[in-house]
Amino acid sequence: MTRTQLPTRVLEILGAWVLGIIWVLPLLYAVWTAFHPAAYATSFTPDAPLTLANFARAWEAAPFARYFLNTTILVTLILVAQFVLCTPAAFAFARMEFPGRDTVFAIVLLQLMVMPDVLLVGNYRSMASLGLVDTILAIALPYLGSAFGIFLLRQTFRMVPQELDDAARLEGSSLMGRLWRVYVPLAKPTYIAYGLVSVSYHWNNFLWPLVITNSVTTRPLTVGLSVFASTDQGIDWSIITAATLMTSAPLLLAFLLFQRQFVQSFMRAGIR
Amino acid sequence: MSTTQSTGAEVRLIDVTRSWGSVTALGGVSLHVRAGSFCVLLGPSGCGKTTCLRIVAGLDSATSGRVEIGGRDVTALPPAARGVAMVFQSYALFPHLTVEENILFGLKARSVPAPERGRRLARAVETLGIGQLLARRPGQLSGGQQQRVALGRAIVAEAPVCLMDEPLSNLDAQLRAEMRAEILGLQRRLGITMLYVTHDQTEAMAMADQVVLLRGGHIEQDAPPAELYARPATSFAAGFVGTPPMNLLKLAPDGTVAGAGGPVLGEGGARLAGIRPEALRVGETGIPVRVTHAEYLGADTVVACQAGESRVLARLPGRAALAAGTPLHLAADPADIHLFDAETGARIATRDR
Repeated sequence: MTRTQLPTRVLEILGAWVLGIIWVLPLLYAVWTAFHPAAYATSFTPDAPLTLANFARAWEAAPFARYFLNTTILVTLILVAQFVLCTPAAFAFARMEFPGRDTVFAIVLLQLMVMPDVLLVGNYRSMASLGLVDTILAIALPYLGSAFGIFLLRQTFRMVPQELDDAARLEGSSLMGRLWRVYVPLAKPTYIAYGLVSVSYHWNNFLWPLVITNSVTTRPLTVGLSVFASTDQGIDWSIITAATLMTSAPLLLAFLLFQRQFVQSFMRAGIR
Repeated sequence: MSTTQSTGAEVRLIDVTRSWGSVTALGGVSLHVRAGSFCVLLGPSGCGKTTCLRIVAGLDSATSGRVEIGGRDVTALPPAARGVAMVFQSYALFPHLTVEENILFGLKARSVPAPERGRRLARAVETLGIGQLLARRPGQLSGGQQQRVALGRAIVAEAPVCLMDEPLSNLDAQLRAEMRAEILGLQRRLGITMLYVTHDQTEAMAMADQVVLLRGGHIEQDAPPAELYARPATSFAAGFVGTPPMNLLKLAPDGTVAGAGGPVLGEGGARLAGIRPEALRVGETGIPVRVTHAEYLGADTVVACQAGESRVLARLPGRAALAAGTPLHLAADPADIHLFDAETGARIATRDR
């Protein structure tokens, strides 16, 4: 048995390694360049001197502290609003009977198929007419209601045993009481999984913030980084990679720390 | 006995029906459960017993008819306002809460003051002996312990009516017998009215003051266990109750067992003769049968026989060593023979009773 499967197994392992190396290569290059003087940016010399100077220069070259603050405000705002808005919607779709429920849900699902980039111009017009251009709220607003979040939570709420709901109802819990004390706690793995996806998506989101912001006080990290990399620094790779590492470090660290929980909560939430 | 507990309230169902579209789950059920009594809703799966219970709880609404608890019309009231507690088949414990939080869930939802909560919790814990479990979560408990916690949650509500939906079906046989005695003791001590759903006739016979046998959404018989056993109202009731259940023998026009001959058991025609396995004995005369196999149970032996077209089970004392194929005559007292209409299943009154 092992004999016949051996070639396949070798191929699989080889394939996994190749894909892994291709994925990690840019990151490795970034780490190499960021921690070494500019002279070594394109030459691999094992005994090259290590330095943190690139980080210091990058930090001073652009208002990264402000960008960090902007991004943090942005992802927090979006996450809180998504939880608050998706929860009751998902509950209604999962456990309440009302005419047209399935039709409305289908419309919500349709939204999943619309790429946000298609709506760039339309959204810009809306923000302009609301007078919100160049605000953090404007970056967040198109994402506050999430079809993906509603869908995910609805699936989870539907898996909550009906008897638990019945028991809570019998014990005198109101509708909100049941939602808050039974459904939300039981859906915690889904909230974690969705929260991680949402935070990483909006931390990395670039195109829409680039279009809607044009000042230091509103720009998130991604836009700040690109502005910094293209105009201010020319092609000083050491500083650019140092800045890149700096801006992606919080997410990268969080993922490494929570890797196990992250994968597990996705398994439990039923999405891969 | 001395504890001043809430006492039971009577429960009355008046012509309750429930249908989903063209499917009728309950067709005109009327029943009366006396205050403080133990009523078992018995029947095979799909007979409407759980639907009936959920309508009393208010978790389901009746299509028509009326539900009264303690003389009060509760048909339109939400579950929480009906004064009922319930133990679910799956126990329905909240997996994210500890045992203590589970038990107190309802009292917190109803904003019962903390000292009163503590008092009720202490009493439930003492009654059920679950003190060492309070800090655990349901996932860390065995089936029997989960069952106790579910009972605890039902008794702290101090509701006059307690509803139970097959609470013992997930336990093993030995624990089931123990919990049966415990639930019955609890009901007697607290004096509450119990409505208990099961498909297990042994449970019904062992616990009930009143058994309501349901079939296809209709009440087949509503009687105390002894009467259900001694005078089954229909052939279905006869064949559902007893271990093993009553033999139902098809009669030939001349009143003997069809295809077997033997003594006349009743007026012929489209009739079924019902004889309990324990009422049969081996005799010189009687229904001629042929043994198919014998099951030795310790105190007695259940012998399966073929009598013409019908199969007969006889419960014979001791160890009856009977090889397959042995011819026998099985006799019964005329008083132990019940007659049923073969068409409707209804009991036919005999002269002596």
